[in-house]
Amino acid sequence: MESTLAAPSQSASSESPIVKAIGIERVYGEGQAEVRALDGVDVSFEKGRFTSIMGPSGSGKSTLMHILAGLDKPTAGSVEVDGEEITGLGDSDLTELRRDKLGFVFQFFNLLSVLTAEENILLPLSIAKKKPDQEWVDQVIDRVGLTDRRSHRPSELSGGQQQRVAVARALVTRPAVLFADEPTGNLDSKSSEDVLALLRGAVDETGQTVIMVTHEPDAAAHGDRLIALRDGKLVHDAPPVSADNVIELLKTLG
Amino acid sequence: MFRLTFKNLWARKWRSLMTAVAVIFGIALVAGTYVLTDTTNQAFDQIFNESLAGTDVVVTAKSEVDQQDGSTPSFSAKVLKDVQGVDGVRQATGGIFSTGAILDSEGDSTGGGFAPQFISSTLPETFDTSTYPEGHLPTGPDEATLDEAAAERAGIEVGDTIQLVGVGKAVPFRLVGLMRLGGSSFGGTSVAQVDLPVAQKLTGKEGQFDQISIAADTGISDEELRDRVAEVVPNDVRVETADENADRNASEIRESLSFLTIALLAFAAIALFVGSFVIFNVFSITVAQRTREFGMLRTLGAGRRQILRSVLIESFLIGLFGSVIGILVGYGLAAGLSALLKAIGAELPANSLVVLPRTIIVSLVIGTGVTMVSSFIPAIRSTRVPPIAALQENIVIGGKNRVVLRTAIAVLLGLIGLVLIGSTLISGTDGGSGAASIGAGAVCVLIAISIFAPKLVVPAASIIGAPIEKLGGLNGRLARENSQRNPARTAITAAALMIGLALVSFVTVFASGLSSSVNKVVDDSLPGEITLQGTGGVLPFPAGAIKAVQQVDGVEAASGVRYVSVKVDGKTAPISSVDPADIVKVYTVEWKEGSNTDLTGLTDDEIVIGDKLADDVGAGVGDTVTLVSQKGQEFDFRVRAVMKTDSIELAGQGIVTQTAMERDFKVQSNAVGLVKLDPGASLESTQSAVETALKEPFPTVDVLNQGELKEQQKSQINGLLAMIYVLLALAVVVSLVGIVVTLILSIFERTRELGMLRAIGMSRRQIKRMVRYEAVITAVIGAVSGLVVGVIFAFLIGIPLSGDGFELSYPVGTLVVILILTALAGVLAAIYPARKAAKLDVLEAVSYE
Ligand SMILES: Nc1ncnc2c1ncn2[C@@H]1O[C@H](COP(=O)(O)OP(=O)(O)OP(=O)(O)O)[C@@H](O)[C@H]1O
Ligand SMILES: [Mg+2]
Repeated sequence: MESTLAAPSQSASSESPIVKAIGIERVYGEGQAEVRALDGVDVSFEKGRFTSIMGPSGSGKSTLMHILAGLDKPTAGSVEVDGEEITGLGDSDLTELRRDKLGFVFQFFNLLSVLTAEENILLPLSIAKKKPDQEWVDQVIDRVGLTDRRSHRPSELSGGQQQRVAVARALVTRPAVLFADEPTGNLDSKSSEDVLALLRGAVDETGQTVIMVTHEPDAAAHGDRLIALRDGKLVHDAPPVSADNVIELLKTLG
Repeated sequence: MFRLTFKNLWARKWRSLMTAVAVIFGIALVAGTYVLTDTTNQAFDQIFNESLAGTDVVVTAKSEVDQQDGSTPSFSAKVLKDVQGVDGVRQATGGIFSTGAILDSEGDSTGGGFAPQFISSTLPETFDTSTYPEGHLPTGPDEATLDEAAAERAGIEVGDTIQLVGVGKAVPFRLVGLMRLGGSSFGGTSVAQVDLPVAQKLTGKEGQFDQISIAADTGISDEELRDRVAEVVPNDVRVETADENADRNASEIRESLSFLTIALLAFAAIALFVGSFVIFNVFSITVAQRTREFGMLRTLGAGRRQILRSVLIESFLIGLFGSVIGILVGYGLAAGLSALLKAIGAELPANSLVVLPRTIIVSLVIGTGVTMVSSFIPAIRSTRVPPIAALQENIVIGGKNRVVLRTAIAVLLGLIGLVLIGSTLISGTDGGSGAASIGAGAVCVLIAISIFAPKLVVPAASIIGAPIEKLGGLNGRLARENSQRNPARTAITAAALMIGLALVSFVTVFASGLSSSVNKVVDDSLPGEITLQGTGGVLPFPAGAIKAVQQVDGVEAASGVRYVSVKVDGKTAPISSVDPADIVKVYTVEWKEGSNTDLTGLTDDEIVIGDKLADDVGAGVGDTVTLVSQKGQEFDFRVRAVMKTDSIELAGQGIVTQTAMERDFKVQSNAVGLVKLDPGASLESTQSAVETALKEPFPTVDVLNQGELKEQQKSQINGLLAMIYVLLALAVVVSLVGIVVTLILSIFERTRELGMLRAIGMSRRQIKRMVRYEAVITAVIGAVSGLVVGVIFAFLIGIPLSGDGFELSYPVGTLVVILILTALAGVLAAIYPARKAAKLDVLEAVSYE
């Protein structure tokens, strides 16, 4: 069974990174009002790994993620995704990039209220006008544990279930990278655990690459690697040991 | 609070502006109509006053019965002698001022379309207020002058030949001068002047005058002289001071223009009614979007009244703004409307545009009033927001959904509307009050439908969305879902469009019914092959033309038809006269009591009356009916037979002989000529033979075969229809603006959702397509329901009319075209919202607050 899962990439550190950012700067405003949200960040992400990004509020986590995903443009520096330079791309190329190579899970407002759970999951395929691979779809839905909730509307699902639908939607296209910005920020601990386990499982079982921004040490501890930002600078990059260890780290960051 | 209101308005300036558009159109039409009619009225006042500058007292014939062509009677020239004998009369002169035709040397008409042309006698210097920028007054029987503007329009110069047609053959004159009346423009009207005896002969008024102008001796007042003159004249004439005469003429013009005013204001009312739906929708959506804000204000201690006041002040300011812009646009529209009238040949006289205080006050009051009334229900709803709303994510206000109450109101309104319409139709009330109660009824029914509409939107969107989903896949699906997400919103948006389209389809069906009814009359009642008409179907033509046609080879029979309006038992009725010998060959009468021999054998003291008139006055065969002429004289006719009145009253409501018509009612010209060809005669060659026979002596006669006649009638109906379309387009445009605003507001609400779609890979083009589909679904719901409602109304109103031979026909092709155009208009309305949705910044949309 497991062998039939087509992994997006083989986990191998020797390969070139799937996402590579060099000298990223992002400045908002000018003069007095100037804010350096990112101040020279160099970072790479290997295939098949689960990276958590942490840092105090306002440290630039979301900004970094947006830039890595081509949702925002850096003031300086360059970003490569899957070997392609994306900083100079126009809107339609970026749209295609997101459609074909990236997956997203947000904190809020993740689903279309007018579509059923299954339709929401299939949404990226519909947008791309691709025929869904039914076997894969069933597997994903089964994995997120929503087989009996397929035809429910989001309003009929709990917050945790909704977020699982969002994860399934992000997984269904087998993206090169899955970005998640505080995916558990709005959930209770049980639901958070479900969602994190899903992400972890995708990495372990199918070699999915995941980059997740989070505030929660427990969540960060699920990753293979922990990056921390402060005042727009990369200040920590190492495998997480435990949640307690992460809390300690956060204390030092202030 | 007040500052907050302003800040709110400013923060939502685009929305406020779009809301104002909902009243701008309607108010523009209100203001434009007033400016146009006031300007025209003032121009006529000026014309009448200027033309009577040298005159103190005026004698004219009384008119007891208004004629359809607006003509007034003349009176005996002998009156002049009596008037000249009155002490205090310094000078008095008789004059002629009658409709006629002014042609160039080739026999082509100089005026355009419907603008009237007059033949006038010259006036002695005392009374003549015209100036002659070129040439001089006519000095002999073959000389004429023409008003400067008419000459310029027709490209005629002094020295050229013109032809004048009154009641006889065309007569050539040499143009010896150009005339200008003071500073006023006549509009499209042209006037040709000839010497008095010539004018009398041309117009068939030998021994008659249309008017006597009197100048007073110094020291005697106009009123005094008027009273003295009144004592010596017969009682079929009226004596007025110049001022009184000018006032009366002006008020008659005013009255005839009042129809135009009412019609235009009715269209303004429609546009405003549609606008009120748009305003209601925008305010409802805004209030819903501001729920949290209202809740917050309540927690800070703001009372319900304060909230209500702030919303109403907002709507007051928007209404005020819309009205002011509307007045400005209306001013421009007045110029546009007069250009439009000029284009269809009904140019109105105008100097500079007149803006009365009334125009401004009425426009401001209506504009702000409509806006405030339309926003009242949403404003009330805003006061129901509880303070707790500030803390909650998604709160639905209004709480109790009073379904029963709503349904009851809708049913009640619907019934009131139907009863209003029905009773008006059955009682046959016509004129302003009839139109008003039908309008009120229609408004009730339309509001009732709108209350039900949200219930219908969901299934309607599913049906209409089905092909779009097939076509558009995911985008179609989402568009359909979005249109169903907030049924009330979609319903109101569609209902606004429904109103415009209901009227469009109503007039379309009705006009096609008119055309086919006319065709039916032509087919059923006119067995002849050729019809004669005065140029453009407006001017009567000389009786001699019929004689000329009867001589043409291949013509078996020909009869002229003349009309006059008379009073019977106090009611005004049009009566026709025909040539009894030939009429049954060219006109098929459906008999109620009698036969064709009653018509061929009709004597000069007998009348064939229509069943309508027979019923009205309770007269039957053998009875005597008394017809009162325009001059108030009574003539008795014996009823010889009763016919059915045809639907377009081609034979009026009664038929007398030509001799009787001329003897009693002084009508010498034919309005229509009906011609039958010999069996076997070729239509083509006979028609051209008839044309040749008429061309020289009677250039004002148009010769039409049946096909051309139908075509001409149809194009007249379609011309009117086109005007109505233009005016209804205002209402339709307002409802399209409604689609635009509603879409923009919905997109604004769905910012995050759209951002998410963009983030996961939806392209700008796909987003645009989705918005477009949603607009098309709303537009088509509005269009289909409008078409259905319009056709049903036409059907209902057609029922009582069918007794008069009116038959409805359904122009399916046209209706389908209207439907497609509306769907395209939906695409058009979506352009801006779609672009806005596509331009949406993905990052901003997915960023959390
Ligand atoms: N659109 C913007 N305009 C101006 N400044 C901005 C904008 N977006 C972000 N910033 C600033 O950039 C800095 C980094 O913001 P960012 O959203 O990346 O922080 P974050 O680490 O995600 O914080 P949080 O944990 O609160 O989500 C902050 O100081 C923020 O104020
Ligand atoms: Mg953030």
